[in-house]
Amino acid sequence: MSDPGDDLAFLGAGALARMVRTRQLSPVDLVNLYLARVERLDGRLRAFITVCADEARAAAREAERAVARGGKGGPLHGLPFAVKDQFDTAGIRTTVGSRLLDGHVPAEDATVVARLKAAGAILIGKLNMSEFALGGTVRFPFGQPRNPWHLDHQPGGSSGGSGVATAAALAAFTLGEDTGGSIRGPAAYCGTVGVRATWGLVSRHGSFGVSWSMDVAGPLTRTVEDSALVLGLLAGPDPKDPLTSRRTVPDYRAALTGDVRGLRIGLVAELLDGGTQPEARAATEAAARVLGKLGAAVEPVSLPALPLAGAAFMALCDSEGAAAHQRWLKERPQDYDQATRRRLYTASLLPAALYHQAARARARIRHEVLDALGRHDLLLSPTAAGPAPPIAVEEEPVTSKAIAARRFFGHRSHGTPASLAGVPVVAVPCGFSSGGLPLGLALTGRPFDEATVLRAAHAYEQATDWHTRRPPLRP
Amino acid sequence: MTPSSTDLTEAQVRALGAALGLDIGPDDLIEVTHRLNAFLDALVPLGELPASGPEPVPAPVDPDRAA
Repeated sequence: MSDPGDDLAFLGAGALARMVRTRQLSPVDLVNLYLARVERLDGRLRAFITVCADEARAAAREAERAVARGGKGGPLHGLPFAVKDQFDTAGIRTTVGSRLLDGHVPAEDATVVARLKAAGAILIGKLNMSEFALGGTVRFPFGQPRNPWHLDHQPGGSSGGSGVATAAALAAFTLGEDTGGSIRGPAAYCGTVGVRATWGLVSRHGSFGVSWSMDVAGPLTRTVEDSALVLGLLAGPDPKDPLTSRRTVPDYRAALTGDVRGLRIGLVAELLDGGTQPEARAATEAAARVLGKLGAAVEPVSLPALPLAGAAFMALCDSEGAAAHQRWLKERPQDYDQATRRRLYTASLLPAALYHQAARARARIRHEVLDALGRHDLLLSPTAAGPAPPIAVEEEPVTSKAIAARRFFGHRSHGTPASLAGVPVVAVPCGFSSGGLPLGLALTGRPFDEATVLRAAHAYEQATDWHTRRPPLRP
Repeated sequence: MTPSSTDLTEAQVRALGAALGLDIGPDDLIEVTHRLNAFLDALVPLGELPASGPEPVPAPVDPDRAA
């Protein structure tokens, strides 16, 4: 990258916020910087579905006036951000990645969007995503999002645009939503940090639901510190989501001490095996050694029920989706992407008895995960089985049961255990494949102990240089 | 993985869909059939879990959430 604004664009959100606060940087210039990058790069990356340039510039001018008046502003004052198009935005189209909602304009912001705006952040756009956050979309109605490290590869899903926009510095930070890995997958594939918080820590109000019992909104950022900053603003009780926790939200940034001495970390055997590619396994084992050198006690741990997680997750999540989509499946099937439609048709035909068996499996997996977290402070695993696959893989026809099994049920065990258990995970970059694609590390913690998860992720990040690398995009 | 004698046929899948009011067209039917048969196979191990064990509470609602 050769543009002189690139270094500024890649600065962390925390650093940019400090520059705005001390008048070293104008919110107008900052918004224009990111909008120019979107204009220059997004024709190829297709991270955005909607760019709110006029609204963002107007908000930036107001933010600048506030700074000139001597106002302190919120902790994200003047920072441009973008959100997955799953979150409602007042007066701005919210498609959930589907033609079915092409003209949908909500009247109210999702709680997470409202909280970021209240902290001073400026919305610059809505990000591309797998249709209805289900993953596996073949033909994206608003353009194929592409991995900034290799344009022929997937960015991950379903928060693909969030991963792309964060990695390519098209915004200071982004928001995604994670049901079975939809933040962590794009973070790993695009080389960013991504946080799936404890279920119930972050409001779901105004987020188009995938599975009510597993949906969590969270940040994708270029550093762990930025994720700690943003998560602290997202978290906390919301009267509009009665299942949010009423616990006091700690200062996550204050937890980033760099000290992991004495932490007990379990390296999950079933997630190192079970289809994990050698490069992802090697990167995870190398990360375990780094954490060991920093003073953590890393030892193997076995969770025998984890191989069941993928199928159990799919039965629960897809059944919910099928129930929610029945009317559109009958009245407007042609408006779905073919992969979404076929997935929802399939889930519609599952016997209810199998749904309840999946619910029992979820309880068992949750019990195993929590039991392991009773003996360890954290669990360590690869975020995904390997680096981002080529886009073309999704386009291959499904001509046999074996292909269907491999494509749809064979790779979901890495992200789904934490979703089923409802526990927090931070995905953090941990290396690159021989093909130059990022690899991700997952650190999983106890319910509502995001502080420890972020502390360990930050210590690891600061001991390595993976987060400093930038995708090789050319103007 | 090979087709088994218990695999559903395309005609059976189409009939199941019709029973629910879903008109699964010919372009979708082959893939939906393969997906459903693979899904049912993937779920078999879940049926072998012991019936006893943790109660299947749908979501881990924070026990401290009550004010």
